[in-house]
Amino acid sequence: MKAIRHTGVIREYDLHARPVRIGYGFVIAACVLVTVFALFPILWVCLAGFKDLKEFLSSTSILPSVFDFGIFARTWDQLGIAKNYLNSLISVTGSVVCALIFNGLLGYGLGILKPKGSGVVRKLIMVSLLMPTTISIVPLFMNIQHLRLGNSFVPLWLSYGANAMYVILFTQFFESLPRSIIEASRIDGCDQLQVFFRIVLPLSRPICAVIAIFAVNAAWSDFLLPYLVLRGGERQTVMVRLFVFSTEQTVNADTMMRAVVFSMIPPIILFFIFQKQLTENTVSVGIKG
Amino acid sequence: MKKLSTALCMLLALSLILAACPAAAQDVGLIDAGLTCTITLGNWPSDTAPDAEKALFENYRAIMAVQYPNVTLVPDYYSYTLSNYVPMAKGGTAPSIFQPPFTDPQLLISQHLVGDVTDALEQFGVLDKFSPAYVEMLADENGRIYGLPRDGYVLGMHINIELFREAGLMTEDGLPMYPKTLQELAEYGQIIREKTGKAGLVFPASEAYGGWLFTNIAWNFGCVGENALEYQDEDGRWVCNFTSPQCIAAMEYIRDLRWKYDILNADATTTDWAGAHSLLGTGEAAMNFAADDSVDQPTANKGLPVEDFALVPFPAGEAGRYALAGGTCYMFSPDITPDQAIALMAYLKVLGKLPFLDESIIAGMRADYAAKRDRGAPVLPAISAWTDADYNAAKQAIVEEFSNVDMRLYSDFFGSLDDGSITLKSEEPVFAQQLYRELTAVIQRVITREGADVTKALQKAQDSFQEYLDDEINDY
Amino acid sequence: MSRAERAVRPGGRTVEHLKSWLIMLPGLVLMAFFVWEPLFESVRMSLYKTRNVELVRFIGLDNFVSVTGKDDFLQALVNTFSYTFWSLLIGFGLPVLLSLLIGETTRGKSFFRTAVYLPNMLPGLAVIILWSAFFSGEKSGVLNILLSRLGIPAQTYLTRADWVIPILIIIATWKGAGSTALIYMAGMAGISPELYEAATIDGATVRQRIFHITLPAIRKLAGTLLILQIISVFQIMYEPMVLTKGGPDNASLSLMQLMWQYAFGGSMNYGKASAVAVIVTLILLAMTAVYSWLNRRESDWD
Repeated sequence: MKAIRHTGVIREYDLHARPVRIGYGFVIAACVLVTVFALFPILWVCLAGFKDLKEFLSSTSILPSVFDFGIFARTWDQLGIAKNYLNSLISVTGSVVCALIFNGLLGYGLGILKPKGSGVVRKLIMVSLLMPTTISIVPLFMNIQHLRLGNSFVPLWLSYGANAMYVILFTQFFESLPRSIIEASRIDGCDQLQVFFRIVLPLSRPICAVIAIFAVNAAWSDFLLPYLVLRGGERQTVMVRLFVFSTEQTVNADTMMRAVVFSMIPPIILFFIFQKQLTENTVSVGIKG
Repeated sequence: MKKLSTALCMLLALSLILAACPAAAQDVGLIDAGLTCTITLGNWPSDTAPDAEKALFENYRAIMAVQYPNVTLVPDYYSYTLSNYVPMAKGGTAPSIFQPPFTDPQLLISQHLVGDVTDALEQFGVLDKFSPAYVEMLADENGRIYGLPRDGYVLGMHINIELFREAGLMTEDGLPMYPKTLQELAEYGQIIREKTGKAGLVFPASEAYGGWLFTNIAWNFGCVGENALEYQDEDGRWVCNFTSPQCIAAMEYIRDLRWKYDILNADATTTDWAGAHSLLGTGEAAMNFAADDSVDQPTANKGLPVEDFALVPFPAGEAGRYALAGGTCYMFSPDITPDQAIALMAYLKVLGKLPFLDESIIAGMRADYAAKRDRGAPVLPAISAWTDADYNAAKQAIVEEFSNVDMRLYSDFFGSLDDGSITLKSEEPVFAQQLYRELTAVIQRVITREGADVTKALQKAQDSFQEYLDDEINDY
Repeated sequence: MSRAERAVRPGGRTVEHLKSWLIMLPGLVLMAFFVWEPLFESVRMSLYKTRNVELVRFIGLDNFVSVTGKDDFLQALVNTFSYTFWSLLIGFGLPVLLSLLIGETTRGKSFFRTAVYLPNMLPGLAVIILWSAFFSGEKSGVLNILLSRLGIPAQTYLTRADWVIPILIIIATWKGAGSTALIYMAGMAGISPELYEAATIDGATVRQRIFHITLPAIRKLAGTLLILQIISVFQIMYEPMVLTKGGPDNASLSLMQLMWQYAFGGSMNYGKASAVAVIVTLILLAMTAVYSWLNRRESDWD
């Protein structure tokens, strides 16, 4: 355990000066304020979930009049959202697997194998990074229709196998691996795929973890392409369901707040499990490069 | 609204299936083995439809197979839109039966894109029982009939009686003193705002919805006939007109509701259909323009007790007493033969769309009303497409058996339909959704900017919508 | 890549090359299907009159003429730049400030980091719906409840044409600023402590240290994040779609939302939708080009 020390712009010895001490007080106060600002809306929506429609639309109190957890249970049953959770789980799992395998292999090719001509691909992927994904959603949707892949998870899974950001993160990480190990295994007679699975992947746990977390979160939150692909079907995910609620006005405003709470629970749990990986420096590697 | 009627159909379907299954086997007999033809049925439930719905349609098919063994039914999952239908009808690939909304029949009839079923209706003995209110929508100028209503609604006004009571707007009989005219609406709304602090009127001015309601107000200001919002000129081009003095007056009325009388709900521009019902149902607003098919929204869905709810006619304007009537109808391919027309009517009879009551249809109605009563939704008579006295009386008897409301709170609404004091009018004929969007934008402008220039905003919307009409239909 | 590296790298022979390409193939096929081909197809479709999913006939630039000639396009274009402006005004400096603040804390640093990052994990759609209740104009709206505690009467927010874009940006900033701040913190963590020590010995005040050491050190990072932020703001679509439906009177309509409306908003005009998409792409490409050009000049000076 490290001793708590001032290691930022303000150093230990600055604190001897009174203005700096006061300034530091302001810094702490500002941080507390920012924290309140960040957390209050999340807390509020959980509280709002306890209100029924009349209370939600009429009450001028932040706190609900009663804390009845039964109201969440009833909404859960009424919306049959368990099925959507299952769908989301299927969607997320497949997406993460695709994100790791396809982007990983492509990153391996670009970062380590570097066959002749791969420089062009590299540039193409850099440019793709700058293009918003939703921009070509219309033709993509048409292609999916043409291939009769509508109402299926397959196109959603595969779409995570084509993420320029993940490819670049993989490529940069692989390039940072010590080449000697890879060379050694090549000399031992491993072919390229074996090198990937036996040597590269085991060394790449940190980047895989980061990309997996990103992909889980992105796949969970995604709803535009899933909405178009899974529209009206039995396979609607939680977020598609929420989007349908918001466009088709089939649920009441109070129920909507509880649906919002349901949609936030898995990401929040994920966050608390992996907060170290998420808030520490690993993430920024790719962006800085 | 579509969603709601789907849900309702589903409920009905479920109850029907429970009631109809045994009937299918026993009570159905052979009717005509000689009729030999094939009909393709649009809107057949697809594989992904709920099981109850699929089973219901399979049951229809089974009944048809017994009654008309030589009529072949070909399921078609086709779902109508104007733009996909026109090429199909011209290319001879339209299904025998399909379901357009009430906005389109006159257009389709005038372009000869639909089939005539007058003789087939005659053969079933129901031609003279067809409600005159619907003749205008579904017949041509010679009285030939091209469609049957599937379900419909009429726009009126929902009332939260609690707020009327609080504002002292009650008659001696204990009924709400509701506004009969748009001018009264503004004044009563003001009283309610002053006495209760709540919104007098909720006006859902988001997306297409605000424009939809506005068209009804505009008609009552005189935007009909030569001042219509939309019409076809001598050359057959579609023209829109939002800048008639009548239309400007109607839009100025909306502006006054916000800035002069200040009776609208706070977030009118983001309030949608469900939001409007929520505000009325929870007592945040006293009046809401809404139809008879959504009376379960403020009550059963949003919690307003049925005794505090009333449905009244749409307020009249200076120049008219119109109420928007809408819904969905059945229409037929322009290529149908007389035999096919008869087979199609037989099919609609099985669906319960002709004025014949059999046990399964009665059982379905009873189950539907019982469910409504249990949920706390008003049990009301459906607006009939038929003038058959026995048929309507039989249906009325079932309604009364389950009635959970004081019918005096509804009698003016239903009375106005019967005595003709209200004229039913269907939506503007072409690209109504786009028209509504354009008008909603104007509404949003005039209720969010106090000094907005009404005429200029309407002119802009008119130009924009005219360009749309030219693009989509005039230059097609 | 150095000459030495090239000599020892695997795949020096043709077969090796082929095998390497084969390994990359699945990823490339997916990139082609999900990213490149649709982008190309957008351009093609924008030149055709379309009916449903079919291309009816080639019409040159008619879709572009028709789309750009309409008032709502101009409005959406102006709005999209307005989103960008507000996003830079509200959302660009804030993460830097946050990272400076949190970076200075000792006790509770990891708590603050966790707290500001949390909103970023929440689904964007849920965030918009959540905030819609904050900005409700009814007395039960959360902001109005808070204002009433201060004795200020209830206001409306989403009905004000001038407010909707800043409001949407505030929501986006609430969600995203924390995670961006952590990236800056990582950048600042790379600054050598000796620099600060040396500056202090030279008598630099805290403020001078921030302006002469900290901020210059993250300048390149800030440049990258700036362009990423602009790209992401240009994508803004479902946020106004859900919160305001683009209103009031198109005051929050974005270009991408206009594209969605053309494609999926009832008229199913994929040709015109693609024309809007192509225009957005071109604007983004132009901005990226300007950015990299500026960046090159800067590097030259360095």
